[in-house]
Amino acid sequence: MKILRIAWRSIWRNRRRTLISMSAATFGLVLVIFYSSLMSAMIGDAKNQLDTTGMGHVEVYAAGYRQKPQASKAFRDPAAVLAKLQLPPGAEAGYRVLARALISSAHASEGVEVHGVDWANEEHLASYVSDLRAGAAPAADDAQGILVGEKLAQRLKVGVGSKVRVMASRTDGEVGANLFRVRGIFHSISPALSQSRVVVSAASAQELLGAPGAAHEIVIQLDDPSRADAVARRIGRQLGPEYESFSYGQLLPSMKAIEALMDNALFVAALFVYMLVGLGVLNTALMSVMERTREFGVMMAVGTRPRRLVWQVLAESFWIATISAAAGLALGLAVTWYGSTHTIMDFTAKMGEGMDMGGMTVRSAFRTAFSILMSVKAAAYVYAMALLVGLYPAWRVTRMRPADALRRA
Amino acid sequence: MAVVEVESVTKRYEEKGQPPADALRGVSVQVEKGEFMALAGPSGSGKTTLLNLIGGLDAPTGGTIKIDGRDLSRMGRAALADLRRDRIGYVFQAYNLIPVLTARENAEYVLELQGVPASERRRRVDELFARIGLGALASSRPLKMSGGQQQRVAVARAIVSQPAVVLADEPTANLDQHTGAALVDLMRELNRERGITFVFSTHDPMVLERADRVVRLVDGQIAGDERKKAA
Repeated sequence: MKILRIAWRSIWRNRRRTLISMSAATFGLVLVIFYSSLMSAMIGDAKNQLDTTGMGHVEVYAAGYRQKPQASKAFRDPAAVLAKLQLPPGAEAGYRVLARALISSAHASEGVEVHGVDWANEEHLASYVSDLRAGAAPAADDAQGILVGEKLAQRLKVGVGSKVRVMASRTDGEVGANLFRVRGIFHSISPALSQSRVVVSAASAQELLGAPGAAHEIVIQLDDPSRADAVARRIGRQLGPEYESFSYGQLLPSMKAIEALMDNALFVAALFVYMLVGLGVLNTALMSVMERTREFGVMMAVGTRPRRLVWQVLAESFWIATISAAAGLALGLAVTWYGSTHTIMDFTAKMGEGMDMGGMTVRSAFRTAFSILMSVKAAAYVYAMALLVGLYPAWRVTRMRPADALRRA
Repeated sequence: MAVVEVESVTKRYEEKGQPPADALRGVSVQVEKGEFMALAGPSGSGKTTLLNLIGGLDAPTGGTIKIDGRDLSRMGRAALADLRRDRIGYVFQAYNLIPVLTARENAEYVLELQGVPASERRRRVDELFARIGLGALASSRPLKMSGGQQQRVAVARAIVSQPAVVLADEPTANLDQHTGAALVDLMRELNRERGITFVFSTHDPMVLERADRVVRLVDGQIAGDERKKAA
């Protein structure tokens, strides 16, 4: 009779209690896996949306621009700066001309952020410029072409071909104004982007600002965003004090904060669940041991060493932990797989397609992330907790004196 | 040669809020190899306490106990467990089989602790079961067996490893007269056949009649030590 076989039979002596304990552990694990995968999907989605909206994993500016954006704080020769940068393999980089401006149609005026871009390059840096719901991107030499977002087009009551006027402060302090024609209307799940971003060619933006050849932002998209901090530091050292480089974590500290908040919330929730699982298993194991005090006394009387009794009790926790963790893992994987292929919560009707949260945009239709590694980790914690709590009843058994144990009814 | 040597053993139980109770007061007794000895006396006379001390299940307050010449007071918990496994068999009043194990598995349990290979365990247990009429019950769980059958399995578990001494605490107390007599007769036969030493506590006259030697305990002291001609 191997220890495991005796333990297996022992846990089924009180079938209902064991099943309740296992169910609690299984359900707790499924909850942790589901919650983790939901949070992971939200953060992952928010990061993906950064790329969609054209925010760089690393962005470079002239010193002081981020603190006080002014048209005059610009790269005089952005192409030369770009050429100097030592970028990791696979990185995409480009520059933009930026300006706060007022856009007016025949019906309304709105404050907007103008992005002056190289059209061909911008498609690699920001996918929204390719996601057009009407019209087409302006040609490279189209000095009057402009892209506007869906919400902005609605507010201005403009369509493809409509004329709009854009006014901005020039570098010489005067107000510059140019006429543009709407060539396309882009879609973005970010309400802010859809409502307040317009895109023109870099040359048009430079002309609007009276800053020929200048740019305000160098954008770098990395293959591996986790290297953003290191790349930003390296570029900062390389370019010297005239320029400042930032990773997306520095540009959007709220994202890190939300990520940390979610991690902490997940940690606390998981800890709570693990403790409940531990208490459930402890209760079962302890009750089982206490009810069988006399039996352990008999085992000691016939020559079972204390160490073997410890293994005997731990083996029961092992079975409960193994079955609970395996069932919880299987169910958790099934639930998160389903959630990764189907929308499980949808607030689109109330919130629109996306929600802006502290500079991030997340989809209003939630899915889960399917991650075997993450689920196995959660299962491992439940497993470890269930085994760990088995130590206490095992220790209680070793404290029993055989004669006292035999006297128990 | 003495298998069990008990010398001036005392046992005092002290519990908070209770006056101390002397369960044994200077008991000395020797049990020779092959004896079939009964500890007699009324309830509370110290029979179970003495058996527990001989088996190393409890520690005496004073005096020494030796099994096969080994002083139990000098042994740690693991060494005492090994001694019980290899040299002592136990039969309890309430049978005390492990309920999740079959009759055969209960009997094999001690052999497994000793590291006896599975095939050898099976051979020895089958042979013993056949000898004591348990062959048909080998695969039964204890709860499916009668009291008498369970106690026979307990006897099998106690003797299967060929211990130096079998300690039996009121082995017939839960059995009817006929079954109890049959069990004692079986123990007697095994004692004769295999030379196993038996020490059992009882206050059943039927059992006492079958013992070679009766040591009487009264109030934790030996009140008599009577050797009889074997039945």
